[in-house]
Amino acid sequence: MTFFNVVTRGLQRRPVRTGLTLLGISVGIAAVVALIGLSRGLLTSWTAGMKSRGTDIVVHNMRGSLTPKPFPASTRDRIANVPGVTATCELFVDFMSIENAELMIVSAREWGCFAWQNLKLVSGRMPNDQSERAVVLGTSAADILKKKVGDTLQLETAELTVVGIVEGGAFVENGSVILSLPLLQEITGNQGQINAIDIRAAQGMNDADIRKLCDQLSKLIPEARAEPAGEHLVDTEGYRVINAMSWGTSLLAILVGVLGVTNTMLMSVFERKQEIAVLLALGWRRSRIVRMILLESAMLGLLGGIIGVGLGVVGVHFLQNAPAIRGMLRPDLSLNLMATAIGIAVCVGVLSGFYPAWRSSRLTPSLALHG
Amino acid sequence: MNSNASQSQRRSSTFVFEASGLTKDYDDGQVHALRGVDCKIAEGEFVAIVGPSGSGKTTLLQMFGALDRPTSGTLSYRGESLLDLNDVAAYRAHEIGFIFQAFHLLPTFTAVENVEIPMFEDNQSRTARTARALELLKSVGLEQRANHFPAKLSGGERQRVAIARSLANSPSVLLADEPTGNLDSENAVHILDLLVDLHRERRTTLVLITHDMNVARRASRAIQMTDGRVVFDGDPAKLSSHP
Repeated sequence: MTFFNVVTRGLQRRPVRTGLTLLGISVGIAAVVALIGLSRGLLTSWTAGMKSRGTDIVVHNMRGSLTPKPFPASTRDRIANVPGVTATCELFVDFMSIENAELMIVSAREWGCFAWQNLKLVSGRMPNDQSERAVVLGTSAADILKKKVGDTLQLETAELTVVGIVEGGAFVENGSVILSLPLLQEITGNQGQINAIDIRAAQGMNDADIRKLCDQLSKLIPEARAEPAGEHLVDTEGYRVINAMSWGTSLLAILVGVLGVTNTMLMSVFERKQEIAVLLALGWRRSRIVRMILLESAMLGLLGGIIGVGLGVVGVHFLQNAPAIRGMLRPDLSLNLMATAIGIAVCVGVLSGFYPAWRSSRLTPSLALHG
Repeated sequence: MNSNASQSQRRSSTFVFEASGLTKDYDDGQVHALRGVDCKIAEGEFVAIVGPSGSGKTTLLQMFGALDRPTSGTLSYRGESLLDLNDVAAYRAHEIGFIFQAFHLLPTFTAVENVEIPMFEDNQSRTARTARALELLKSVGLEQRANHFPAKLSGGERQRVAIARSLANSPSVLLADEPTGNLDSENAVHILDLLVDLHRERRTTLVLITHDMNVARRASRAIQMTDGRVVFDGDPAKLSSHP
């Protein structure tokens, strides 16, 4: 028998209580995995979407919200010819309720710009020109909207024809309703307005060069801001709110887990008072008793973490199909996130064990001779 | 207490325990468990401590086992004050073997694992611990029950496991708190025989608390306590004349 066996036997003593405590921690960790996975997924999905379009830099004005605020299309004229900028594409990207779908990504693109080039037709055709009252749907968007080529799509007050289904090479692209920029400007009454400019930088530019170029562009356009693709989301108010809410909810769930483990370990120590006193009478050092309780607690955390990650992965698959976010993001369930979640769970276990361990170290061995 | 030199010095002392004017108060002095106990226990003695409930027997045993500290008085183990022990845990682990009335086996551990418990502070390998525990179980006639959990053992078997556990680190003193108190008469005789045999074979000092005068008469010496005081100390055969 090893000391590890001693620790595990302590947990096996009350299997139902141990199981319920594990469930408590697991739910907390599952919340971490699901919520943080989704919020990180938002970032990685949008970054992947931009990368698939070949975008290196995004010009936007979305500090205060998740969706970019409109700015004049003429902004592009001031940056298009800056050395290092090889191509630009004006966009108007918005989240809109379309027919029965609660929230869809609507991506209006300057006709003929590079952002159309990554779209591969799965069926149908591309719009004939920028004035054709037509849209193409990403494969997921077509699935969510239950549309096929030839169907009509109600976008606000306009009735548009679905002329093609496309594969965009990224989750966000596949979840988008894509149309020409002038068409959406007309439908939404935003003539002359855009809310993003995708920029392709010159080949061979490294990250540092791109950052420098962003600084240079930002100085030229005080009404907007140029940032490397993907990073522009991180600094936005909207993303911060989502991130903060994810962590806030997760921490709340973790706190419940901490209280659960503390309660379990305290009960375990109180129940085992005499047993601990016997161990002391048999020559165990107080430090070993403390280690035993802390290890039991850490073990609860570890097991709860592993189960929680499993629950989180399952939960996230349900969440990503929720009507509000379906097709907009793919959860980022990286190994890093899972390891972080398990690490948090172990910390929760150890943290929860401190007080019970301290209480156990205060027990007097003379209790062994009573009862 | 850790060096070999001090150990050999201690072993050379005539008495294992020497208590002088030992008192123990509880509840801010409201309860006087010991009221000036003087006694000496020599190496290899089998001493029975008798007396009614609340007479201070268990408190005295706690003092011998360094499970508690006296309020006043002196208590030494082999000439060295127990109150100044540097390493109380090592004293309990290596010098003393405890046997409890209620056995106090850990319910989630098998018999052999229970016997291994006191050896954890000894840095022995796992195989060495297990081998030693099995050897001890064999010495108490329980080698066939080594992998049984306490719940599957009879009262007598549990106490034999507890005795094997008390011997784990080859202590020189066994402190037994009513070891036959929870057993039927047949098992009580077997356990007492076992303890007496171990005391003789291993030359351990045995201090045993009992209510049973028949058990006390098997000892080489009896100490009778009443109201925290020693009222008789001598030949167990004369106990009946000192109620």
